[in-house]
Amino acid sequence: MSSAFLLDLAQCIGCEGCVVACNTGNDVPDGAQYIAISEQVRGTFPDLAGGVANHRCYHCADAACVSVCPTGALYRDDGLTRVDASACSGCAYCVGSCPYDVPVMVDGVATKCDGCRDVVSAGGVPWCVETCPSDALRFGPREEIAAEAHARAAAHRGEKYPDAQVYGERQAGGLGVLVVAPEDPETLGLPADPKIPLPTTAWQEVVKPGGFYITSASVLIAGLAGVIARRNHAREMAQLEADHAANAAPTDDNGEVTS
Amino acid sequence: MTETRTRTRVVPEAPPRGAEDEKILRYRPGQRYVHLLVATSFTVLFLSGLPLLWEPLSFLAAGGYSRIIHRVAAVAFMAVPILYFIVDREGAKELLADSFRFDRDDLRWLASMGRYFLGNASDMPPQGRLNAGQKLHHAAVMILSAGVVISGLLLWFWDASLSDSMLAWSLVIHNITMGALVLLLIGHVYFTVVYKAIHSMHTGYIPKSRAQIEHPKWVEEIESKRAANGANEQKTLHREKQPPK
Repeated sequence: MSSAFLLDLAQCIGCEGCVVACNTGNDVPDGAQYIAISEQVRGTFPDLAGGVANHRCYHCADAACVSVCPTGALYRDDGLTRVDASACSGCAYCVGSCPYDVPVMVDGVATKCDGCRDVVSAGGVPWCVETCPSDALRFGPREEIAAEAHARAAAHRGEKYPDAQVYGERQAGGLGVLVVAPEDPETLGLPADPKIPLPTTAWQEVVKPGGFYITSASVLIAGLAGVIARRNHAREMAQLEADHAANAAPTDDNGEVTS
Repeated sequence: MTETRTRTRVVPEAPPRGAEDEKILRYRPGQRYVHLLVATSFTVLFLSGLPLLWEPLSFLAAGGYSRIIHRVAAVAFMAVPILYFIVDREGAKELLADSFRFDRDDLRWLASMGRYFLGNASDMPPQGRLNAGQKLHHAAVMILSAGVVISGLLLWFWDASLSDSMLAWSLVIHNITMGALVLLLIGHVYFTVVYKAIHSMHTGYIPKSRAQIEHPKWVEEIESKRAANGANEQKTLHREKQPPK
């Protein structure tokens, strides 16, 4: 049983009520903002089209931030991606890893939307959902939210958005925010295939395991070769010692001891 | 015959070993303390960085405690080159100059390094104060340290200057350069153990017979300097203090 958000961008009026409610309700640290709304105007007058893009944590099931976090400060819970600020080491691995560019560092600690964990566990709904005046946001069991999303997309297609679709069922293992997009999600800043950045992939897949194996192999080789080398060197020193003793005695041209 | 000649060149008129063996000053006190500072700060940096790489230790990183230690040690590590120039200007300049200059003997030495790796120090091409492996080691340590310090400083002060992807690349570079330094450290410890070399870094002195085997050109250089300075000054040149018994 897991929870999910519904974000209906066909319903969103861009009022930023959710932004304000989130900032105040969650006591978001200065310098951070968990939700950002940007109004889009496309085309040239009089053929204008518009939309409202929503920048927020989409709570990936296969969350890059969670997989790179070395301390478990970022973790999955109830279908969402939570933050335990007290466990954060400030390494900022998550900042560079997020395909949606979500986590930020404030005063050396990573912060982002945690799905209003405290509010929800107390029986409420997240601040953004609570506040939304246009019914663009909902929160509930994932199955119900998915059903609602598809119902809304179908309804929008029947009205004024023929391309309306549900976004987030397959991206990054399934998002904890199911978006009803009135048109191609890409135009609203939602990548069809969210990519984990190259440095994160390089680190997780190549550098970290490779470094571990190379270091282990080096220690192993040094240990084995060291035993052989110590023996060789001891033999060599004994040989030199013997040579000195021999050199101390008078020798002929062939290095043979004559007396 | 050839065998004998080689050996005589490597150990020319070797002095008696044991109690009467002359000791040569290899590391001045300033150099030994700087080395101690590098060793200590590097170890602390490694251990305080490890919690971000190895999950079982990650509890140490929670709340940023290991980060504080990491940054204190980082300041000490970055102070090393400055400190070296303050306490032993000549030594620092010598290290810089020697580590990036390879002569023909050095190249020949590197070509037969496999033998040295397996514990055979004699019959190697004659070496100066540093052997070619030490030169490579020092050069690599200096270059990689610059890499680890620069990427580390970027991470430390990232919020002012870095984009997310620059930040992520800095992390990768920081970890790769540090990994390479750890590999060099494994090699450093390896040769120290194989050739029982810790003594000279501890006391500062190396038995002349020992130096004769591994650094004959250096011994030669010292002796010719002594000869040039005359018998009276030789004590002050390379034997400022009486070597410990």
